[in-house]
Amino acid sequence: MFRSFAVASALAVLTAASAFAAPGHGAKPYGQAAPAAQAKRTITITMKDSLYEPKSVTVKAGEVVRFVIVNKGELLHEFALGRPQDHVEHQKMMAMMMDHGMITATAIDHKKMKMDHGDGAHMHGPESGSVLVEPGKRAELTWKFAQTATLQFACTIPGHYELGMVGEFRFQ
Amino acid sequence: MDTILNRRTALKLAAGAAGIYAIYPGRRTFAAASEYNLAVEKGRITVDGISSRAKMMGGSVPAPTLHWREGEEVVIHATNRMDEPTSIHWHGLLLVGVMDGAPGFNGYVAIQPGETYTYRFRLRQSGTYWYHSHSAMQEQMGMYGAIVIAPKDGEKAAADRDYVVVLSDHTREDPRRVFANLKADPGYYNRGKRTLMDFFRDSKRDGLDATLKDRQDWSEMRMDPTDLADVTGYAFLVNGKGPEDNWTALFKPGERVRLRIINASAMSFFDVRIPGLPMTIMAADGQEVQPVRVDEFRFGVGETYDVMVMPREDRAYTFFAEPIDRSGYARATLAPREGMQGEIPKLRPRTILTMEDMGMAHGGMDHSGHGAAASGGGAMDHSRMGHGAAAPADAGKMDHSKMDHSKMDHSKMDHSKMDHSKPGAAAMGGMDHSKMGHAMPAKPATATPPDRAVGWGDAGTLPGEKALSYADLRSAKKSADLRAPTQEIEVRLNGIMERYMWNINGRPFGHDEAIRVRYGERVRIKYVNTTMMAHPMHLHGMFVELENGQGERMPRKHVTIVPPGKEISVILTADEPGEWPFHCHLLYHMEAGMMTRFIVGPKDQAKAEGDK
Repeated sequence: MFRSFAVASALAVLTAASAFAAPGHGAKPYGQAAPAAQAKRTITITMKDSLYEPKSVTVKAGEVVRFVIVNKGELLHEFALGRPQDHVEHQKMMAMMMDHGMITATAIDHKKMKMDHGDGAHMHGPESGSVLVEPGKRAELTWKFAQTATLQFACTIPGHYELGMVGEFRFQ
Repeated sequence: MDTILNRRTALKLAAGAAGIYAIYPGRRTFAAASEYNLAVEKGRITVDGISSRAKMMGGSVPAPTLHWREGEEVVIHATNRMDEPTSIHWHGLLLVGVMDGAPGFNGYVAIQPGETYTYRFRLRQSGTYWYHSHSAMQEQMGMYGAIVIAPKDGEKAAADRDYVVVLSDHTREDPRRVFANLKADPGYYNRGKRTLMDFFRDSKRDGLDATLKDRQDWSEMRMDPTDLADVTGYAFLVNGKGPEDNWTALFKPGERVRLRIINASAMSFFDVRIPGLPMTIMAADGQEVQPVRVDEFRFGVGETYDVMVMPREDRAYTFFAEPIDRSGYARATLAPREGMQGEIPKLRPRTILTMEDMGMAHGGMDHSGHGAAASGGGAMDHSRMGHGAAAPADAGKMDHSKMDHSKMDHSKMDHSKMDHSKPGAAAMGGMDHSKMGHAMPAKPATATPPDRAVGWGDAGTLPGEKALSYADLRSAKKSADLRAPTQEIEVRLNGIMERYMWNINGRPFGHDEAIRVRYGERVRIKYVNTTMMAHPMHLHGMFVELENGQGERMPRKHVTIVPPGKEISVILTADEPGEWPFHCHLLYHMEAGMMTRFIVGPKDQAKAEGDK
């Protein structure tokens, strides 16, 4: 009991401090989640240990894109949209999730993940522009891009960003 | 080539761009892309303005970095321009025995004065390795250098900069003199050992607290930086440069910088960190591991680590390597511009060895295969008691019922002073509240170091920071051989301090009994360290898999640190025939006899026996 409470509060604090706040609302300065049906285009992103292919994706302001993300590596990876500063914040949360066993190097512990409490879940869902993909699995995320921004897709699992697991959105 | 070399090396290798290498300028060059001339000669090096004698390969200390590619064949003509026999050993490379370059093994004969020996081998691996003399008293005078082998499919990690960082310890004294001093009085240099002996006597006489205080004061005294100027003391070098020389690696903020760190010391374990800059461990001993982010790591002689760092600020960061006796430091700088320097941290306390480090807690404790697991259960943080370096991750596997508490004198431990906030034990029930600090935004850069470190494994890691543990190392690739070992070979690491005698299984090299295994056999090597010093054990010719609880992803190592008083084990698939050196990589321990032959039978013999 005590444990889950402590984790919940820690997450709440972090959530409030991070750019991923606004629980329940997917809208970000750089866009928001959208239904897959709205997308006119599908882009497949392949994850390996620890990189993306392709390394950059060209989009238009206002465009809705469906991303299919395939993890061909042996490690758990993330596909998260955000500005560079968002990824820095996101990395801290991810490090904590790993410390608490909510994720391991290769998998998501759904039980522990659930134990947490509304806010945390929102940070990892297509609606917040972030998905975790286990090795051999695939996931989808549809996003409506707002205005032109310095925007990246990145994996914020400890060490992966440093190893170069980051890609760039280029606005047409 | 995106690899950045230091200027001196770059000049030496300038010809490389044209496909012709002439490591020793002015000598013959060859048309073949990977043919090298490497002269071994005496010279002088200057460290922090002080000149001393050296033995060098390719005209510099460290020797020029050899940039190779996986799959290619390399040819090295090594010419001995000294008046004594020499040799060059390719540390960590998989090759045919005679090419390994250890005199007296695999039919290799030392290179005599004036002679040239031609090495020729195909590179069967990629990663960071090194090369050094395997003849007595030469490596420590400067005969060491880095090998960087690019993967045949290209690097996976996208580094913007790529630097080799060779750590070493250098003394102006002749190594033969050093050895003679050690033989005459093992405490001549090794203050740690003497202190330990005295520690128990003193704590009995004066009480533990007073003794600790005394040792603390004493070690603080040793922190005086003037100690570095002492002719008998070691200077700790980064790429041949002293702390004042300040070797500098350039970066632009936000770039990914890969550091290939090699411990080429004769005798020094280091605690390596870059305050304010977490390191992502990418490879250990040249072998890729799953990324693990740490603030520091304990670095054994002969080991290598590849780390990626991402300095974001426009400022200088200090690369800081403290030898575990805290008798000085190696220092370099990562900076956006030349001529900058960062703050030099205070040396942390030298650890006080515990009874466990002496093997006294050995009794019935279940070390089997997991190193000594650190338990974070209850209120007591065992990691502060010397388990630290071994294996914090496997807490669940520790069998407390078998632990012989009766042999550990808890009454002398001062629990009240232990730092419970320290993240020593990771996996208790999946949640470790002490680690909360990890996730908090930017911990203060100037966290106060703990004022005391207890046990060999305790680096005095700052609160909230993470020190790498062997248990964290998880191979990027699954093991190619999942067979259970068919036999266990016990390797006892012994020493008689008073005579500076060191050996394996009670027999010094020359009177040793070789270890023999069949070709293709899978064996467990169980190290039992009966001494109060850690031994970095190096097996030539093959990688061992460290039994650190990582199952099918045990890390592959060429050097394994065996902490004092501990048992740890490794698994080997004996797939390289030959008679390989197997020794402690502390050069004076090896010299004193801590070495044996590890003989892997020939292929046809294994086949013949299999046919019976």
